[in-house]
Amino acid sequence: MAEPQNQNPPKKKKIKVPKVVNGVDTLVEIEVDDTAGPMWGPRDGHTLLNHDLRRVDGAAKVTGAAKYTYDVRPVGMLYGRILTSPYASAEVISIDTGAAEKMEGVKTVISYGTKKLRYEGDPVAAVAATSPEIAEDALRAIKVKYSKLDHVVTYEQAIKPGAPKVYQKENGNIRPGEKRGDRAAAEAALLKCDAVVEHVFVTTMQHHTCLETHGVTVDYNGGDSATVYASTQGTFSIPGEAAAALGLPQKSVTAVVEYMGGGFGSKFGLDLPGSIACELSKKAKAPVKLMLTRPQEFLASGNRNGSWQKVKAGATKDGKLVALIAEQHQLGGLGEGGLAGLPYIYNVEVIYREVDAVHTHQDASRAMRGPGHPQPSFAMEALMDDLAAKIGMDPIEFRKKNTTDVAYHRQLDRGAQEIKWEQRPAVPGAGVAYGPYKSLKRGMGCGCATWGGGGGPSCQVDVFIQPDGAIAVQVGTQDLGTGSRTYTGAIVAEEFGLPLSAVETRIGRSNYGQANASGGSTTTASLAPAVKDAAYNARIQFFEKVAPMLGGKPEDLIARDGKIYASTAPEKTLTWKQACATLGMAGIAARGEWKQGLSGGGVHGAQFAEVEVDIETGQVRVLKMVGVQDCGLPMNRRGVQSQLNGGMIQGLGYALLEQHWVDSHTGNMLNTAMDEYKIPGCLEIPEMVSIIDDGDTRNVVIGMAEPAAIPGASAIANAVYNACGVRVTSLPITPDKILDGLSKQKKA
Amino acid sequence: MPKRHETDDESSRASGLSRRQFLRGVGAVGAGSALVTDLLAPDVSAAEPLPLAEPPAGTTLHKGLQAVTLQVNGTAMTMQIEPRTTLLNALRNHADPPVTGPKLICDQGACGGCTVFLDGKTVYGCMQLAVDTVGKQIQTIEGLSGANGELSPVQEAFVHRDAMMCGFCTPGFVLSATALLKSNPNPTHEEIQKGCAGNLCRCGTYPHIFEAVAEAAQKMRGGA
Repeated sequence: MAEPQNQNPPKKKKIKVPKVVNGVDTLVEIEVDDTAGPMWGPRDGHTLLNHDLRRVDGAAKVTGAAKYTYDVRPVGMLYGRILTSPYASAEVISIDTGAAEKMEGVKTVISYGTKKLRYEGDPVAAVAATSPEIAEDALRAIKVKYSKLDHVVTYEQAIKPGAPKVYQKENGNIRPGEKRGDRAAAEAALLKCDAVVEHVFVTTMQHHTCLETHGVTVDYNGGDSATVYASTQGTFSIPGEAAAALGLPQKSVTAVVEYMGGGFGSKFGLDLPGSIACELSKKAKAPVKLMLTRPQEFLASGNRNGSWQKVKAGATKDGKLVALIAEQHQLGGLGEGGLAGLPYIYNVEVIYREVDAVHTHQDASRAMRGPGHPQPSFAMEALMDDLAAKIGMDPIEFRKKNTTDVAYHRQLDRGAQEIKWEQRPAVPGAGVAYGPYKSLKRGMGCGCATWGGGGGPSCQVDVFIQPDGAIAVQVGTQDLGTGSRTYTGAIVAEEFGLPLSAVETRIGRSNYGQANASGGSTTTASLAPAVKDAAYNARIQFFEKVAPMLGGKPEDLIARDGKIYASTAPEKTLTWKQACATLGMAGIAARGEWKQGLSGGGVHGAQFAEVEVDIETGQVRVLKMVGVQDCGLPMNRRGVQSQLNGGMIQGLGYALLEQHWVDSHTGNMLNTAMDEYKIPGCLEIPEMVSIIDDGDTRNVVIGMAEPAAIPGASAIANAVYNACGVRVTSLPITPDKILDGLSKQKKA
Repeated sequence: MPKRHETDDESSRASGLSRRQFLRGVGAVGAGSALVTDLLAPDVSAAEPLPLAEPPAGTTLHKGLQAVTLQVNGTAMTMQIEPRTTLLNALRNHADPPVTGPKLICDQGACGGCTVFLDGKTVYGCMQLAVDTVGKQIQTIEGLSGANGELSPVQEAFVHRDAMMCGFCTPGFVLSATALLKSNPNPTHEEIQKGCAGNLCRCGTYPHIFEAVAEAAQKMRGGA
């Protein structure tokens, strides 16, 4: 929570602060304000933070200078490729790699021998060759005899009595999970409701579709050290695993993550391609790059788990949610997946729910932006609008009656104002059709999100100041495109009253200070406080050294607009360069760590959509989306808006475009290509308004990437319902489902 | 029926026939329908080389590594490549130093990440055979900035409007936008969307990209 600013002259105390001298940590004693330590200060006092920042690596990204893992090409590098299972369930009976090994340009072949294959994408063999073309020839020359086994790839197949078991130990394919509440009490409460709605909600797996596929480049020549370039969300998730795979001590392996082309929750650790790359590199005694092919990226790099949710909910006519019964199945393939328990963010008097996991012969699900939330959000927000319609209440009013959290009230009001909520048809489907064929109908919908996030003590950040005025901040963290590199520099620049461009920001190497992996929107809340602490410690030291030159006490010094002066003697000033020149050869080296009070957790978020439905063709066009998001103190307002836009666009894809097509007969995924698995493109993008909720006055930093990706699909589904009166209960909402609903409407 | 391991290139699919292989096969025999039938037969041993018909009179078929010289950003780059190597793979894997601004993302002409200028026109690097680009001027994102590294108006606007997140799609978008503004200096919002519709972004940067293109257009027309 926000800390009050101290108005009275503070008492002093002596503290020891860490200092790096020649790479060795030492402690030096300094005097500081008794209550002090780093604080963000008043919201309107920032010169860089809480402003629109220019991404510090922007120029590198627009000129092609930014080198991603996929771009690295050490001398003598080989190209690795994996031969993966063509079946969802099979056994390798025999494998002959002889012909592949003899091919010119093929340096190493690894066979995984006779084994059971449990998903399409399971590795069978791997090769390393002098070009990707030759590597692929080699895969083709490997002769494999498979024995195809019975598979289950859909929910319906998996729960059939006597279905093939994915895991032999399990009792069938259902892994029991949580049961909460009293079913009888919930049933009884439903009987007292004025309105009851029941649906089965189905969502397919969603694919992360990172533009840079999963993979690594292992720069290893058989010596006693290695550098691993990894497309990962965790720089420090690499060295231990890579060292084990290469048979080296961990300290001999450096991970480099200068730039990475998207992760969205799917890129942690060495992973399948990384492990195989290390194996190939160790065997070939040569550097190996192994990036998944695009089809493999769909088949073997995780997914957002699908879901099958049967939900019944009831409300009184004055708008109070009374009872809810939910059966939630997580469809995470070989993995368990996850689903937040219903009723998600709303308060319901009596609930009963069962959550379990149903396994299929498909790649295990992984975290994906807001893991476990968009699925229950889709179900719950649909029920909210259906119930509101039944009792004749405005959906926003209905939502407000069922959550006491004022942040949601504020955000719903702000979003409603922006999208002009009053212009929607009061009764779903009741709007007047327009357009050349009188076939278009408009509607609006909304949804809300929640996320925990929060930070912890996981980062060590160093700030270095040289006598020539060079100032650098260094930490091993990674930038997924979220802008962590930019705010890391901005926090330090602001602390010293410098422009952002004055600070060199070094990130993405495991031989820099420790940092946490980027998952669960915890990066900013863990990293920013540690950067702030390092900047603060550096400034305390810096002021100690230059204070005598300015005729003031260290605590009276001010660094602003590239100048240093004492508040007690403002006529005497030093430029930044002049001040640094007094530091002596050693300059300043200060380390910072995460401190309580600078970060927080718990964010909300409301999103709105306006759509146009063609009731002749079933086509849906999103006209406008509005997102209102809290995040405590925004580090970079423009960056927050970029992420909020991105979350909403991924929600748009989830709502209307992205379908994991799997053939229940063959067990194969049918659309493992980017022209077949549709992610949103330029033509699908509506007018977008991303609003930072400045009503959130908590003076702490909180991550907001996850909630941004949660309620967009729910809002679009509700907007479709509002436009044409059809409740589509499965994602994606495709024209056939709308036409089907419209024809049922006519019959009724 | 066992599925064939068609892994001839990165766009290999369940069907066992990639677009590029199809094109290559057709190219080798003219429009030979017999060969196409053959390729589609699922049980053809994938390890067998494709049957080749006699080349048209006056042409020679080349196989294996060939020395070719490509004109990349005004510099002649000589490299050893196979006839089947795409322009994208030639630049990324065979040019020395590597030219990696064009990204390999879908490898099938669906995402625009490998967009380059070929004699001034945008093409997908993954859909061009490198040997077919000999004698043509190839410009990549690396060749777009000024001599002293100053950003082009489109590049500058992309940075200014924060029109990127992870940045992997950025080179392709910048080149598509540059081409759009060459042919249409004053595009409407819809024309910007259409002009960039051959490129995909997964982070969801689109709204800022559209803003950046509009801003660059205004600057290039001499506006404020």
